[in-house]
Amino acid sequence: MYMLDCLLNFIRRVLDTIFSRRITNSLLIFVKTNTGTVVPVGLDPKWEVRDVKEFVAPKLGMTPEELMIIFAGKELQDSELLEEYNLAEQTVLHAVKSRRRSFKRKPRVSTCIEEDEEFDDTKRAAVNFYVYCTSPCANTTVGKIRVRCFKCKSGAFTVDSDPKNWNDVLKPKRITGHCEISQCTDGEVGWSEFYFKCSEHVTKGENDEAVALHLIRNNLHDIQCLACTDVRSKVFVYPCDDGHVTCLECFCEYAVSRLRERRFVFDNDIGYTLPCPAGCPNSLINQPYHFKVLSKDHFEMYERFATEEYVLKNGGVLCPQPNCGAGILVDDDCDKVSCINGCGYVFCKKCLQGYHIGECLPKEEQLIIDITGYSVDPKLVSQSKWDDASKVKIKVSTKPCPKCRTATERDGGCMHMVCTRCSFPWCWLCQTEWTRECMGSHWFS
Amino acid sequence: MNNIATQRIKREFKEVIKSEELAKCSIKVDLIGDSYTELKGEIAGPPDTPYEGGTFFLEIKVPETYPFNPPKVRFMTKIWHPNISSVTGAICLDILKDQWAAAMTLRTVLLSLQALMAAAEPDDPQDAVVAKQYKEYPEIFAKTASHWTNVYAGGPNKNSDFDTKIQRLIDMGIECDQARGALSTYNWDLERATEQLFS
Repeated sequence: MYMLDCLLNFIRRVLDTIFSRRITNSLLIFVKTNTGTVVPVGLDPKWEVRDVKEFVAPKLGMTPEELMIIFAGKELQDSELLEEYNLAEQTVLHAVKSRRRSFKRKPRVSTCIEEDEEFDDTKRAAVNFYVYCTSPCANTTVGKIRVRCFKCKSGAFTVDSDPKNWNDVLKPKRITGHCEISQCTDGEVGWSEFYFKCSEHVTKGENDEAVALHLIRNNLHDIQCLACTDVRSKVFVYPCDDGHVTCLECFCEYAVSRLRERRFVFDNDIGYTLPCPAGCPNSLINQPYHFKVLSKDHFEMYERFATEEYVLKNGGVLCPQPNCGAGILVDDDCDKVSCINGCGYVFCKKCLQGYHIGECLPKEEQLIIDITGYSVDPKLVSQSKWDDASKVKIKVSTKPCPKCRTATERDGGCMHMVCTRCSFPWCWLCQTEWTRECMGSHWFS
Repeated sequence: MNNIATQRIKREFKEVIKSEELAKCSIKVDLIGDSYTELKGEIAGPPDTPYEGGTFFLEIKVPETYPFNPPKVRFMTKIWHPNISSVTGAICLDILKDQWAAAMTLRTVLLSLQALMAAAEPDDPQDAVVAKQYKEYPEIFAKTASHWTNVYAGGPNKNSDFDTKIQRLIDMGIECDQARGALSTYNWDLERATEQLFS
């Protein structure tokens, strides 16, 4: 009786193990062939690559020996365990018919090691790539690096060597490889193209990419923040020669303070961005997606200012109506501007007042005509209109920027004004561009 | 004040306290009240300058956005210098304006100001009158600066000639600082200073 119980228990345990391995540890993986066929399979992470080949080969009409499994630019070796690759649900593996290589290709890597810090092998496990996942996470997430053929964009691609640093990853044609799509490189050397995926949601397929936030890194060397001097786990590394570091919190603080003063830099190639806060030359943040780290409101502010800056840089105007401010690119020859996609206001390009025929009038008279359209006593009007009272208030407490006419209030400090909208430096007293003369004679009084 | 600014200032405060320069009595900072938003700085007039032997006090206001924006610094001690307003104490120094970088600290600011006192930049003036005198009458400038250091910053060099002239104006009912300002402006020409004061 006892023996029987033992035997039954044993059998049950064996069955349990097999059963649970099959069910609970099963991963749904897509195996894609070089003909484009995709076969969904349930795999066990404990399996060796050899097992996968045996499992998949019959489904593809091949023998396991013919098969080559590629994942993230690497050919998986028979004795390796699947779990070593940390495959996530719905990962795509590439299965191709292996070809006897006629020559042994030497890795050709055009890397300048000095250019960038190398990815540290000993700490590789701790290296996380951060990405901005637009959908569905809409957040800064941990990402994973993947590779494909530069030419045909196929993932059935093996790299000759690992990327050594961020330049290898971000710049094209740095790492050679071999594309398994026979028509593509035809045995010739191919170039790898790296891209990123979000690892915090189940992948939606091969096109589910995320933007690499390559300046956000794990603080592997315990570098202290330039601004608050704390040592934090996640840091922002500025693209200057010294690679200055702030913590993410200080990066946000820095960006928001510059944003409020409209002191971002508009670069034709990069867009609206910031340099290293230590004041280094050539240190502009070259991937504006990094500003997605800011709160939603601040990022919206960033987008609005960036757009306005773009419009002004390209000779456009901003609609002067309160609560509108839409950017409008204008015709050089015509002074009449209509806010077509915004509030519909029609105004004069030169004085930003309601559109008029002939020369622009001095501001005071303009104001009255705008409001009434016929001739009245200006004094009486200004005393009895609500909107007018507010306009008068703005008029007495502000002066327009000599360049873009933005009403500007001076709440203290010196006479040197810098327009918060178009960055034009001007003198509060002279109401013209700020000069050395102003600095010498009436900077402070 | 926000955390980053407070934390940073606290550390910088300690940095100054521990610095070599403090040991040599060349720079110093003190707190005003409990918050770290307002500080009092102190710098010694650099040797071999008209400011030698004087102690100059500074008003330091730390903005909310520190260290991404510079601290607001002003001389509380009156000083005769081309880059510092003789009236308000406002300072013309690029690092306190657009050349500020987050890697700068209270210590570097105080040391930069000391360097500015030792080497004025008259082509980028804060006080046009002082700058003109500095360029055209360097000797009068040096004497005036030394006299101001004596009167306002506890410097050692008394100038009895200047004192006599100031006393003359005080006798006419002019307030002391105003008399000194006018005489300094007109290169100690008593007649022109008087003329200006009574016009």
